[in-house]
Amino acid sequence: MTNNLTQTNTDFFLDKIENLVKFAVKEGATQAQIYILNSDDFSVEIRNGKIEELNKSISANLALKILVDDKVATASTSDFQISTIEYLIKNAIKRAVYSEPDEFSRLSDFVTNEFNPEELEIYDNEIENLTSDYKINQAIELEKIAMSDKRIKLSDGSFFGTNISEVFVANSNNLLGSFKSSSIGAGVHLHSGDDDNMIEDGYWFNAVNLNKMMSIEEIAKKAIYRVTRLTGARKIPSMDLPVIFEAGVASSLFGFFAACISGSNIYMKRSFLADKLNQQIANNNLNIIDNGRLKGAVGSIPFDSDGVPTKINKIVENGILKNYLLGTYSARKLSLKSTGNASGPTNFIVQNGPFTQSELIKSIDKGLLITSTIGQGTDTTTGDISKGTFGLMIENGELTYPVSEITFSGNLGTILNSIEMIANDAEQNRSIKSPSIKISNISISGR
Amino acid sequence: MYKNFGLDKKIFQDILMVALKNGGDFADIYFQYSFSNSVSMEEDIIKSTSESISLGLGIRVISGEQSGYAFTNNLSIEKLIETARTASIISKTSKKNLSFNLNEKHISKNYYGLANPIVKASLPSQIELVQRAYNSAKKFNKNIVKTSASLSSQLSYVTIANSEGLLISDERPQMRLVVSATAFDGKNHTTSLSNNGGRYGIDFFEKYDTPENIGKRAAEEATILLSAKNAPSGEFPVVLGAEESGVMIHEALGHPLEADSIRNKTSVMWNKFGEMVSNPNVTIYDDATIPYYRGSLNIDDEGYETENVLLVENGKLVGFMNDYLSAKLLNHKRNGHGRRESYQNIPIPRMNNTVLAKGNYEPEEIISSVDYGIYAKSFQGGMVNGTGKFTFSLNLGYLIENGKLTTPIKNVTLIGTNLDILKKIEMVGNDMGFFLGTCGKQGQSVAVTSGTPTLKISQMTIGGSNDE
Repeated sequence: MTNNLTQTNTDFFLDKIENLVKFAVKEGATQAQIYILNSDDFSVEIRNGKIEELNKSISANLALKILVDDKVATASTSDFQISTIEYLIKNAIKRAVYSEPDEFSRLSDFVTNEFNPEELEIYDNEIENLTSDYKINQAIELEKIAMSDKRIKLSDGSFFGTNISEVFVANSNNLLGSFKSSSIGAGVHLHSGDDDNMIEDGYWFNAVNLNKMMSIEEIAKKAIYRVTRLTGARKIPSMDLPVIFEAGVASSLFGFFAACISGSNIYMKRSFLADKLNQQIANNNLNIIDNGRLKGAVGSIPFDSDGVPTKINKIVENGILKNYLLGTYSARKLSLKSTGNASGPTNFIVQNGPFTQSELIKSIDKGLLITSTIGQGTDTTTGDISKGTFGLMIENGELTYPVSEITFSGNLGTILNSIEMIANDAEQNRSIKSPSIKISNISISGR
Repeated sequence: MYKNFGLDKKIFQDILMVALKNGGDFADIYFQYSFSNSVSMEEDIIKSTSESISLGLGIRVISGEQSGYAFTNNLSIEKLIETARTASIISKTSKKNLSFNLNEKHISKNYYGLANPIVKASLPSQIELVQRAYNSAKKFNKNIVKTSASLSSQLSYVTIANSEGLLISDERPQMRLVVSATAFDGKNHTTSLSNNGGRYGIDFFEKYDTPENIGKRAAEEATILLSAKNAPSGEFPVVLGAEESGVMIHEALGHPLEADSIRNKTSVMWNKFGEMVSNPNVTIYDDATIPYYRGSLNIDDEGYETENVLLVENGKLVGFMNDYLSAKLLNHKRNGHGRRESYQNIPIPRMNNTVLAKGNYEPEEIISSVDYGIYAKSFQGGMVNGTGKFTFSLNLGYLIENGKLTTPIKNVTLIGTNLDILKKIEMVGNDMGFFLGTCGKQGQSVAVTSGTPTLKISQMTIGGSNDE
């Protein structure tokens, strides 16, 4: 029954956007594209055993792009009255006159309508079937398990949420596609330590399939581990040290790297990696792929926001930059082909190395394991990076004491070239997946 | 505006009754209709214009300390009733229904420039503003190789109705012109951003700031950055320039005084009311009533009239920023700080325009008091966690040597603990400047500003490089 309704719904929207594209062309658009995102969200936050906030809603948004002789206008709306949508289309056709011709902005050429989203396994109806009570109880239980550890002083809340989304796209180049996806997530944030030196940290996990979801016991355990290991953290003097970026921190570092190779930053010269294609930009132990087709993975999508099918792209091979992340527009600007990344990185995967994290630690006489960072402090143009830092001191190959209120700073280009060792501990629940990495030397500022 | 969408007082009343059927203590409705425009220019051409409409209604039910929330884009009676029922599922008491009658109230004081909102100006006049800013940056000097400029403007109509009988609407303009400039000296690229705007009408660009000046600032800073060095590493005196250093106050003191973190005891300030948390030369307030400012509001997103809230008076902690629920649970007076990003979000305590009041020192006097240290000029932003560790990141600063600004320094993060740093504010200047920001908290972004005079912090950790 549920399936039937869903089917009808999907067909209804596909029919609707196809007609809207036809309407736009009839009204004078040279090209037109319509994109709809429907989203069904549930989230619950628990604090001290009680619901603090429960959100449950269905939302929809429609985005359109119109070209009149290579002149572009765009619009979006959450008001789905047909009169509003038709007004926005007509007005976009009028507004397009005011843009200047830009042949690069034409819609992507037709590739396929055979997207086979089922193959990606990013929709799990078991997530859709979970009851509100189940989700509330999971969140309550998660907080309870975390708080049962005597070292935890305060709960900053636990969270449990689900999302079911459906995307529809159609354009005047005969593109017509849709896909449905699901996600489930849970986490808890905790405080430990004394009043005058409180530490906070937590753990959060998400998945697109219920059977890949981490148990709440495991999430609680990780959150407790993360916060208690920092209890009593202190400041250290400024010095240069070898460091290990723990998997989670390395993932955000490679998130910054992904921004540095995004097409728009490349053609706008807002990246230190512009003009570096096919050059050695990292130590030769670094290999990265972007894989939008990975089965059951959080970053997988059948097509990007241009309607271009995703694929597996080599990004870095033995330290050589092989591809930028390109959508249709930036690809044309750079005389390259779209990599299906108009929506950004998909599953951006730093290949595991041969070592365990403890082997990385053992290799260091005096250094730092960076476990979390705080703040912005990144510049894609120069590659400079500087962030507030928390972590654990390494002495004679062993973790000794926790540190905080320090910063690390360096340059991404230098960091990539100083990757000495890569561990094998990448976390699977992120779209940017990186294992822990060891950097030979970095500036730490403290006392 | 709500009447244009088939809504009226009776429907609001009926929905609130449905929302309270399970016995909640309080319910409110937030209706929003916003339309926005944006014009963007890149690589010497107007690439595209865009228009967007955001329409929806959110319903909240409070029962004890618990909140239920649901929203819908579909304003049919059936959907609204279903949404109200969904919001009410957190409440399971058999308490008697509240009785109330909605009374439509009007805004008593207006802090917005509503005469000629930019979003209603003709597209060619919006394009002209963008071109002026773009060309000013692009033609600044031969080093500027890439520029982009965009103007975004919005008019938002909101209506709030609640089970205490309130029914009130607010019409809110907002606009911002942003310029990015990238400079190249044959070897290195640098990028800088500049922006200005607020809840002004189109006269802003004649009366307060010109597109040319906004463009020039981005280009000038990108050019200076070409010769910038890495900052030194370690603890040094820091002078925060008046232009954008409000970020520091926003992070170090603003967030920890938002009352949700006080009632949850996750802020280091939760038990410090009435105590000295800073030097006596420090007075801090949050004022949502500064005319036309980006963070200003006539009423907050729970319909409560805004005011100027004193937070720290001569170093002593005297106030928190409250929303409805925090005020109730803490037994404080409400002060108009319940804000939300849109109808899709529950209101939470937020800042508006957070200001550290002027002191007595001339800015030059402050700089000349430092033998060796850092001067902060422009910022990328900042961040704070509940335990009071905060950072802010400079885009451009200067070294101070023997009381004078010398070498420009680039991208560097400063870190401190708020209770420690607030006590290290040694000198407060007699000037004032505001940072225009978009503050993120619990996944919700809202427009804010924060202002400070030139300040001297006796010592703070600078995340620079150890080799220079």
